[in-house]
Amino acid sequence: MARAFKYSRKGITGALEETERSLLRNLFADVIGMLEPDTPAQTDPLAALIGLDLSVQVPQDPALLRLLPDAVRGDDDAALEFRQLTERSLRESKIGALRAASLALESDKLVLTEESAKLFSTALNDVRLVLSERLEIRSESDAERIHQMQDWAQADDVDSYLALVYNFTSWLQESLVQAMLDSLQNTAPRKP
Amino acid sequence: MRTAPRTERETETTALSAPDVPWVLIIWNDPVNLMSYVSYVFQSYFGYSEAKAGELMMQVHSEGKSAVAHGSKEKMEAHAAAMHGYGLWATVQKDDANAEG
Repeated sequence: MARAFKYSRKGITGALEETERSLLRNLFADVIGMLEPDTPAQTDPLAALIGLDLSVQVPQDPALLRLLPDAVRGDDDAALEFRQLTERSLRESKIGALRAASLALESDKLVLTEESAKLFSTALNDVRLVLSERLEIRSESDAERIHQMQDWAQADDVDSYLALVYNFTSWLQESLVQAMLDSLQNTAPRKP
Repeated sequence: MRTAPRTERETETTALSAPDVPWVLIIWNDPVNLMSYVSYVFQSYFGYSEAKAGELMMQVHSEGKSAVAHGSKEKMEAHAAAMHGYGLWATVQKDDANAEG
């Protein structure tokens, strides 16, 4: 069984079994696969430098749209323009976090710095966003219904399996974020 | 957690010329992002205190959205891209009529 993350002087530590690490690695790889752009990188060096991509379109897959949402409501042109300027680098930073999280799973004992914990929690969050779209979690009551599924003996179809995976990743992320909040209380200087 | 409508804002904006009109960053509620995670992002990214981050997070949760930052269009767009990096749904808009919802 996984052990909850905790913050100590050693950093943020947790423990996961091989089956859990293998499950997470597969989930991270799936989301990386969704995020890798269909079109080749920009050949125009200036466009590449500023991350501009005029070929970008609004994602058709609703799960991908959860990862790459519109930044402007009620103005499709402005939203698309924002996408052209930011989406490629957003995809790259998400892929970077997912790869870093996969690397952190090399050992059964996880020891995370503040920065690697941030990447790990971001990666877990993206996995949860994708799973939630597949599970059609649209409201708090949907979320509550899915949360009821806690027993692996109930996993008799794809949806119930996905629900259990979703609950596992939610539990793991909650435990990680609590440790990150503890770490933040102990380290960061804060504005009033 | 509903706050009183802020009427004083309307008189301020009319005096400003177009490029100076302030913009806001709105964070939208969803049933997936953990409350602790949203609060963590507000504290670590914006540098807000635990209390302020908690207050904004509760506003997102109970009212469906919250204006979490104000400033220039460019700055709000940079914040929106960062929020999307964290997996929060953020939009930018001019700080007019119903920015505080």
